[in-house]
Amino acid sequence: MATVAEPFPISHIAGRYLLFDVDAISHARRNHNICGVLIGTIPNLSQQNVFLGIPVELMPEEARVLVEQNHAYIVDDAEAHRKGFMEMSREDRLKYLQDMDEQGIELAMSAKKSAAARSEKALKDKGLVRAEVPESNSRAMSETAASPASTSTPDTTSAVANTDEEISLFGPTPSPQAPVARSDKKPEAHYITPTTSYPPLSQPVIDKTLQLPAVPRSFPLFRYMHSQGYFSMPGLRFGCNYTIYPGDTLRYHSHFLGTGMDWDQEFDLLDIVGGGRLGTGVKKAYLIGGEDTGVAGKSKHGQNDSSADIYPVRAFSIEWAGM
Amino acid sequence: MTRPPDMKPAVLPSPLQSLVAAGNLQSSAAHLPSLQSLALQVQHNLQYQHAWSDLRLHTTSPLTNEPLPRPLLSGLPPHRLYVHPDEQIELLKTADRERKARNKQGDTLDVKTEAEHEWILPTRLSEKWTLHRLADVFDALSMVPPAADSAATDDRPANPWRTTKRLVLATAGSDSTVVYYIVHDGVVKPRQN
Repeated sequence: MATVAEPFPISHIAGRYLLFDVDAISHARRNHNICGVLIGTIPNLSQQNVFLGIPVELMPEEARVLVEQNHAYIVDDAEAHRKGFMEMSREDRLKYLQDMDEQGIELAMSAKKSAAARSEKALKDKGLVRAEVPESNSRAMSETAASPASTSTPDTTSAVANTDEEISLFGPTPSPQAPVARSDKKPEAHYITPTTSYPPLSQPVIDKTLQLPAVPRSFPLFRYMHSQGYFSMPGLRFGCNYTIYPGDTLRYHSHFLGTGMDWDQEFDLLDIVGGGRLGTGVKKAYLIGGEDTGVAGKSKHGQNDSSADIYPVRAFSIEWAGM
Repeated sequence: MTRPPDMKPAVLPSPLQSLVAAGNLQSSAAHLPSLQSLALQVQHNLQYQHAWSDLRLHTTSPLTNEPLPRPLLSGLPPHRLYVHPDEQIELLKTADRERKARNKQGDTLDVKTEAEHEWILPTRLSEKWTLHRLADVFDALSMVPPAADSAATDDRPANPWRTTKRLVLATAGSDSTVVYYIVHDGVVKPRQN
């Protein structure tokens, strides 16, 4: 795993906070207890969504925690692309296109090589090879394998071999064919669709004017539990804000169904009864909590002085009493 | 119309109704009569439906002597109501050691837990609550309810596992159903039943 330089960028696209870099994803999970949810699927087979891949979508709370602690920064990705590509210099652009061409040719070469190797293997499996292959052709093939770019392999090698063998099956071997004239041109380059933007663009700069991610009122509970070393995942499955795990979500069952609220926000006792009963039924505790705004808060560390103070969070765990 | 004194009325009031009507409401001006009768209702439910004992009504905080946000109850359940998961592991280990020491075939694990006094917060289902109010109730509570005046010497050793405040939230529905939930002051991991 490559090391990730902090702060790493979080792409903000259409209101979502996304991580596209596998290294950044595992870094956030290992070192910052941030899991996110994999949402990537195959573009033209989007119904095959059992196994999802990158990108990872972060909850706004997760993005905010990372930004507040200076582990990451938000990038307005649409703007970064517009700016980056419009202002790209001509030299950079040409160099990039040339790079793409070279990669395409390389790709075509290796595809051709593997096709040749495949057909040779298939022939060998049938036990029909070598002896019937004319000397010149077999030498030509080995040359191709050794240095594909420099030589001029006949494109028809395999076809020739095939006809040879078919004939050999049914009759005496004819006189070896004359070597075919070889084409000197390189294989046609594959067209490459670039899948990353960084490169060609250089790493986006930190834009300090960007607002912190907007978070719901349950955020203080999330931040508090995160600061205690817990992992959180979205809680829709259990009708709460967060399902909270004591360790990595792949290793542990969750302990709490967390619902965050304001200090003076009214809630129905039926919610407590329902949440407590559901939680106990799945061996979890229902956790409600919020910032105690009655206590003097301490002002936020970091560069964003504009946002509100941090107050101590108080939480209550609820379980069914069993009677 | 008068009725002979030894004759019962046509419709008897419910035991709960007569309990509340019997003037058991304390003349504490700090609390509304509705809250006091609610506490009595929950006390009645605990005593006769769940076999609790040593039930007492508290109107002032044992810490500050200020009036409580509402009348609270304390009592002793017939069995231990709550065992912290870590304590449970410890108890099971002890029980296992003792079983091995007895060295009898077919002996079962014998986990010994003593009942503990609990705080009870009576509420009605129709009420709205906030974190603020819940925190105020917890702030006024001691870790363990104070011992009754009659039994001033509490011979029960304090449970070392009881490290966070907890109370039993009793919620009474309009049909007199009462449900009980344990509320901890803080993040306490769940029991693995």
